[in-house]
Amino acid sequence: MAESTWVILPLLWLFGGAFALGLLGRLGRMRNTFLAGATALICTGGLLWLIPLFALTQSAWVNQTALPSWSGTASGGIQLRATPSALVMTALALGLGLLIAIYSGQYLARDRRYATAYPLLLLMLTGLLGMLLTTDLFNLYLFCELLSIAAYVLVAFRRHTDTSIEAGFKYLIMSSVATLIMLLGISWIYREVGNVTLPIIEGQDSLWLRLGIACFLVGLALKSGVAPLHTWLPDAYGRAPSSVSALLASVISKSTLLVLLRVTLGLGLPAPILGIVFIFFSFLNMTLGNALALIQRNIKRLLAYSSIAQTGYILFALGIGLRYDIPAALNAGFFLLLVHALLKALAFLSKGVCHFYCGATQVKDLQGTAHQFPLVALTFSVSLAGLAGIPPLAGFAAKWFILAASLTAQDTLAYVGVAIFLLNSVLALGYYLPLIVQIFTPPPIGDTARQRVSLWISIPLILLGALTLSAGLQSTPWLDIATWLNFFE
Amino acid sequence: MTRDIVFLELILGFPLATALILALLRGRGSRSAGWIAGGSALVTLGSAFALLPALYGGSEPAVAFSWIPAANIQLRLHVDWLTLPFLVTEAAVTLAAIVYSWGYHKVDARSGYFYALLLLFGVGMSGTTLADDLFLFYIFWELMLIASCVLILIWGEGERRGIVALKYFIFTHIGSLMVLVGLLMLYGATGSDSLAMMRAGGWSLEPALLNTVLLLFFIGFSVKMAIFPVHLWLPDTHTVAPMPVTIMLAAAMLSMGTYGILRFPFSLFSIEHIAPFALPLMIAGLVSEIYGALMALAEQDIKRIIAYSSVSQMGYILFGLGTLTRAGIEGATLHVIYHAIVKALLFMVTGLVIRATGTRKIEALGGLGKALPGVAVCTAIGALGIAGMPPLGIFNSEWMIFAGGFETARIVPSMLTLFGSLLTVVYALRFFGRIFFGEQPQNLKIRSLPRAMLYTTVAITVLLIVEGLFPAPLFDWVAQELTLLLGGGL
Repeated sequence: MAESTWVILPLLWLFGGAFALGLLGRLGRMRNTFLAGATALICTGGLLWLIPLFALTQSAWVNQTALPSWSGTASGGIQLRATPSALVMTALALGLGLLIAIYSGQYLARDRRYATAYPLLLLMLTGLLGMLLTTDLFNLYLFCELLSIAAYVLVAFRRHTDTSIEAGFKYLIMSSVATLIMLLGISWIYREVGNVTLPIIEGQDSLWLRLGIACFLVGLALKSGVAPLHTWLPDAYGRAPSSVSALLASVISKSTLLVLLRVTLGLGLPAPILGIVFIFFSFLNMTLGNALALIQRNIKRLLAYSSIAQTGYILFALGIGLRYDIPAALNAGFFLLLVHALLKALAFLSKGVCHFYCGATQVKDLQGTAHQFPLVALTFSVSLAGLAGIPPLAGFAAKWFILAASLTAQDTLAYVGVAIFLLNSVLALGYYLPLIVQIFTPPPIGDTARQRVSLWISIPLILLGALTLSAGLQSTPWLDIATWLNFFE
Repeated sequence: MTRDIVFLELILGFPLATALILALLRGRGSRSAGWIAGGSALVTLGSAFALLPALYGGSEPAVAFSWIPAANIQLRLHVDWLTLPFLVTEAAVTLAAIVYSWGYHKVDARSGYFYALLLLFGVGMSGTTLADDLFLFYIFWELMLIASCVLILIWGEGERRGIVALKYFIFTHIGSLMVLVGLLMLYGATGSDSLAMMRAGGWSLEPALLNTVLLLFFIGFSVKMAIFPVHLWLPDTHTVAPMPVTIMLAAAMLSMGTYGILRFPFSLFSIEHIAPFALPLMIAGLVSEIYGALMALAEQDIKRIIAYSSVSQMGYILFGLGTLTRAGIEGATLHVIYHAIVKALLFMVTGLVIRATGTRKIEALGGLGKALPGVAVCTAIGALGIAGMPPLGIFNSEWMIFAGGFETARIVPSMLTLFGSLLTVVYALRFFGRIFFGEQPQNLKIRSLPRAMLYTTVAITVLLIVEGLFPAPLFDWVAQELTLLLGGGL
């Protein structure tokens, strides 16, 4: 097969899979487990299609030849390019999608409309893949819309509760504003440059181009939950089913961050300036996220605010890397991005189990989890401790790398940043630890029976837990993967 | 050499493997968990002693693996004369605490986890002393915090254990973060996380950064040592923790702060660099000593009395380090060892008294001398020991610390420390007298005591006397350590 086919194949596969599943759901009443299994298979297929693409990209990368790409028209225009960074994020998204699909096999069993969830999940992944692969701003916009529309519906999936609808609606409004701003940006860039393919030729600097960059900066920052444009995020993550929140928080918002980096740099924004912007907003993100997480009573909202804080840590590392040109800091940031994806997905999935079996939504409802579900207590506390950056878990390695790289900058701003970072990591203990304490607090008397957890749920939890532990104990392979993320052009 | 490496790996690997097995056995191994853990702790202690010939032979057994090559991070374990006194103390305390638990801890479905965590706590401490790279050091440093915190959280006494565990974690973690930044600054300065390379020299720090690093280390490690005013986590933690954990906390973990100070500021920087911090260290030690003793006098809860006595004793150690004299530092290290024995003994008798009477209020106790003569004798020896009575060990170490103080020109703080030690005598005698002399209150019922708890207490008492009577080997170890630290000079 030609190189170009391999690039578009995963996209078509997922897109086709989404429609096939949707059709199946229309034709007759399928069992939830069947649909979950089919989604898992489609994700596995997508992962398999990626293998040759990985090989092609790697050989192109090693030989310094052109990366595999696919173009719709001969004269440029629609173009997909398999950059190393896009491939890694794609693989991560598909891998997590696979685990989440398996998990949903039990988790969505009680929802009447489960049949709609799976095609939407696949559409969301398709949109994400497209966003990562495309080098064309207009297609970026289209894929972003595809991703977002699927995400709105999934957030409002449990529509019998008012709050879900409200959260979905809020997400819809804010996210649409973001995409509109991006569209405006595209028109300005097109007006100035005459095409919208990245990277824009260097040496062009004009007001309209700058405005275009600003539009993308704002639009994509909103999508990735950068404070102060984060207000949709706690509602959306808090109200969506846990499986959806897991995907949103782990890969989707963080991929948008990667896209933000790629687009703004590709449009010619100088890296040091982007670095300063990142550092500044990282302080806001960390402090706001941690401070607001401290006062949350609802577990998922707490995790959502913790995501905002973690976005701040990632932004900080990336900002230091861009501002002072320290590759180690960029790698550390990408490492945290990967590790956070695993940890946050694990946290949301573990929370989902407590919700599914015990209806736990508030922090106080977690009391007795350790006695009822030892496995979940273990995975939940591993993920929380990892997010808090407690050794030997992966979050600590990330913290070490980020701090070590920031200290090499030897600049006042970096030192101030390190101090803020550390204060925040102390602040964060204030909400992660009570959660763990609550999990291990014995339940009220008479409620101690150990409950069985379905295999559909326990297998993804065990796999994800093993992955997170391995990332902590042996971070070398993950660091290597993180260096791949650095090549996004 | 290979034999030594096996011992080195056994010190960490054996208890780690045992802890894993105990955890995997779940409820099934509950009955034998205590025995298994005790055996494992014995192996650790034995392996620590087995390294002695190599050290006397002049070699320093080490083992290294490449871990995260991208960030130049190695996994390296290594023993030298600075490690050994701490390693042996910590392994012995772990063994004593586990044997004491045979009587203290009631076997239930979760006993396996209890012993596994005690072992992990011990691994955290021995790993901290053995680690020869910054990354690994910090991981073990936090492991001891995590393991002890979980022990308090699950097996602690009273309803407040959740809050207390949180306070303990957050407070000491703040100290750890200071240490972490210090470590990272060293890592940045040398480009490697290997301590061996740092000791070899050939790197430098700007003066401003150097003082920052030292300050971070001193404050960070002082938190672990529970020096006033960063001692706030200690009294509650010691009171709420189950007694074996309290023993390990007080007798072994506190001194890890001392180890940190010796391992980083003292062995990586020259005395001239530390000199500006000498007086602050002495004063902090002095204040801590007097404050701890006064609080111990004022406390009504017998467990808290002994807990505050730790704040006071760590003050002596910091004072000794602050003198920057050979005698002072030697005394401080010796004090770590002797304090471990005495403090373990005092907490053990406290545990026995609480078990026998069911109360911890000192005014509800009295006249127990008749009912518990054995415990009374042990307590008397412990109380005399902490008061610095010759020939019991603490007399030796306090002597050295005071001698170090007077060697410096700073006479006033040295005089004050000397007088401060009078307060120790007062609270030690109050502790002993109020519990064992006087009239036994009418409503006080004496329950029988588990044998394992009694025997361990007696064994520790004997150890205290023996070490007091034959201090030569210890002095020898510590002298070797000082030669290592100061290169024979000073």
